Amino acid sequence: MAARTLSIKKRGFTFEVFMWAFTRFTVIAMYGLILAGILGALSLSAQTGANFGDILYWAFFPNLAENPLGQVWMTVLAKLMVIAFVLSACGHGVHGVLEILDDYFTSHLARRWSRNFIITYAVVASLIAMYVIWTK
Amino acid sequence: MGLKRNVSLSTALGYKGQGPYLTFILHRIGGSALFILFTVYILSLLGVDSMHALLSNWLFQVVFLVFGLFHAINGLRITILDLSPKLIEHFRTAINIEWVVYVLVAGFALFVILRNAMGG
Repeated sequence: MAARTLSIKKRGFTFEVFMWAFTRFTVIAMYGLILAGILGALSLSAQTGANFGDILYWAFFPNLAENPLGQVWMTVLAKLMVIAFVLSACGHGVHGVLEILDDYFTSHLARRWSRNFIITYAVVASLIAMYVIWTK
Repeated sequence: MGLKRNVSLSTALGYKGQGPYLTFILHRIGGSALFILFTVYILSLLGVDSMHALLSNWLFQVVFLVFGLFHAINGLRITILDLSPKLIEHFRTAINIEWVVYVLVAGFALFVILRNAMGG
């Protein structure tokens, strides 16, 4: 199979190109955050003596676990990273789910409402996640 | 994209697309599974106890690790091939490498979950 090399200029800047780039960049952000999160949790674990698993568990479920990190900057950094990860995952997932729904919903009306629903869901879920993670 | 599909579900299920098609379908199943996981996670953040219990269930974890890890590893392959178009010539090799990585990572994850589930 021949390699496909089409420059960005030739692709144009349509909605599809934008969403393709958005999906790629959000997934790269997620891989980066996973790597940074694991390295960061290992580092904080070594500095504070807290269990690595406990740090990750608290970071994702701050409403269910005690904060194992002593210092404020560590707490703020961990919360910001988890919020960034959840937002990246949500943005990435919205486009993925829309793509699947578009394959199965064939009428304009169904597609429009599935878009309205999934985008509203993503916004509401992101707001809930940000609020709980930041305030608990 | 056209609004009419000329392929029935039974025909689609019988399509012999081999490796690349299998990764395509598993990627979609994995993405859908992760969407459900995300919903359960948000409900758990809201304090719904049953959702947190579900997240702690080993069977739930096994299902989501099997599909979620495939989605993550296959997504990495897609991203690498997308950003380096010259590598597309070797996409079947990339899929084979992906399967090896997936079996190793998922095998280890399953081992840990099942060991914990059995109280090890």
